[in-house]
Amino acid sequence: MSGFTLKARVPAPLRLDLRGVTPAALAALAAGEVERVPVGHGDAFVPLAEFFHVESRADDVLVLAGDLSRCDRIGWQMDGGTLIVDGAAGDYVGAGLRAGEISVKGDAGALAACEMAGGTLRIGGSVGDFAASTLPGSMDGMRGGTLIVGGNVGVRFGDRMRRGSALVFGDAGDFLASRMVAGTIAIAGRAGAHAGYGMRRGSVVFAGPPPGASATFVPAVAGAPVFWQLLARDLAQHGGAFASLASRGIERRLGDLAAGGKGELIVVR
Amino acid sequence: MNRNGVAIDATFAEAFPMKATRLVITAHTIEWARHAAVAATGFATSVIACGCEAGIEREMPAGQTPDGRPGIAVLIFSMSGKELAKQIERRVGQCVLTCPTTAVYAGIDEGEAVALGKNLRFFGDGWQISKMIGGKRYWRVPVMDGEFVAQESTAVVKAVGGGNLLLLARDTDSALAAAEAAVAAMKQLPNVIMPFPGGVVRSGSKVGSKYPALGASTNDAFCPSLVGLVANTELTSQTRCVMEIVIDGLTEADVGAAMRVGMEAGIALGAAGGLLRISAGNYGGKLGPFHFHLHKLMAEAGA
Repeated sequence: MSGFTLKARVPAPLRLDLRGVTPAALAALAAGEVERVPVGHGDAFVPLAEFFHVESRADDVLVLAGDLSRCDRIGWQMDGGTLIVDGAAGDYVGAGLRAGEISVKGDAGALAACEMAGGTLRIGGSVGDFAASTLPGSMDGMRGGTLIVGGNVGVRFGDRMRRGSALVFGDAGDFLASRMVAGTIAIAGRAGAHAGYGMRRGSVVFAGPPPGASATFVPAVAGAPVFWQLLARDLAQHGGAFASLASRGIERRLGDLAAGGKGELIVVR
Repeated sequence: MNRNGVAIDATFAEAFPMKATRLVITAHTIEWARHAAVAATGFATSVIACGCEAGIEREMPAGQTPDGRPGIAVLIFSMSGKELAKQIERRVGQCVLTCPTTAVYAGIDEGEAVALGKNLRFFGDGWQISKMIGGKRYWRVPVMDGEFVAQESTAVVKAVGGGNLLLLARDTDSALAAAEAAVAAMKQLPNVIMPFPGGVVRSGSKVGSKYPALGASTNDAFCPSLVGLVANTELTSQTRCVMEIVIDGLTEADVGAAMRVGMEAGIALGAAGGLLRISAGNYGGKLGPFHFHLHKLMAEAGA
């Protein structure tokens, strides 16, 4: 089959840029060719084998093993296949992901899943700031697919997010869902200050403690039981704190009134 | 062929290809879901003048619907996908959107997508909200009781329309009893509807008319009031009342199964119950590609 295991041999002196190291790109190559795939290291390109030991696999999966916390852009704009990071990942993991599945067993750095447009990204540990948000200078953040974070997320999670679902089993930093355009975020733990700051549309579900009050959100007078059942039943498949959502009631806060007010913070009772 | 005193004609029902979809209408209670479903499938007996043929397929318990509320599944059939799309928009817009507490979902996933909530959302005047949940798009439209939730689109599939049975009986009472029993049996089956009032039609038609403007006219061969007046009458002095049941189904097998259980229900009443003969309507077999031979259906029933 066409899968490979890339084992980190020695830590890179500078940060490594692993864009282009995707299951589809490597599938057509022999192990020897994979070893010569150029990867960015500082301001130069070096062969992959400089830092990784390459092994063929019996399946189609691309596995990156070892401590990759200094390896950035893992799964950058990936368009299919399965990529497993058996350890920690650096910045930009799954950024621009269009299809396929990326699974990171450990923690990930900043800007994970930013501008992700499809597929599934699972991060077992925690992620840094600006996950599911925009690349610097861009108008839209995450725009499709499913992001699941097992641990905590940093600040500005889902900034300018436009579509897709992002689930966080741990806590979130400040400015969760800031400037959110649409989409769904669900968080099991505690959210920092200013959740939903400047959000235009979209839904943020708080399965744990309610977020702090904001002057630019108003309590919803009417319920949305039908929509809630549809959403809660879909979120329930992810288990954990989300499994029982459909049987629990909600309170909604509508806002951000400073940005049109069509978004909602859903506080699960 | 004769079963329990009921003569089964060596003929066949001729049916046509149609386009169909299933909608699931849910509401706060089954009563309100039924109000919406009855209204949405009203005036939908025949494509000749209604634009579509529609009916209630079944009631769905709360556990089977997307939102966990009680619901009703309706089937809508039309001659083209375009006409079907028009009928869905009008009927859902006027009869489901308007009905208290309802929501509407696609009841078929595979097939060509046509608009369900996609255009109705504009009723929200800018306050409508789109949500993608589990890969499906829904629209949330603010209304005076809260929110109207509608799935963006439903799927259209190829279907079969115009399966039929003619029940020839001794008198009105026995004809109604046989027709009611047959419809009740057919309603137990999935994927079919009987679009006429109560599932039964008394004004069966033939192709053509003495009036050039009309494409169809009364089926004079089966009119008891014309016995002795028309040359080709099918009736005798014993058969004084005829009822027809028209069946639309998602597949040929569904229509055949419904015809079979309908015939069995009539045969169970038998000649003693006043049902004397079962026949079917066709146009010589040249117009419709689906032929349901009554003897063949009965043979399958016996097997």
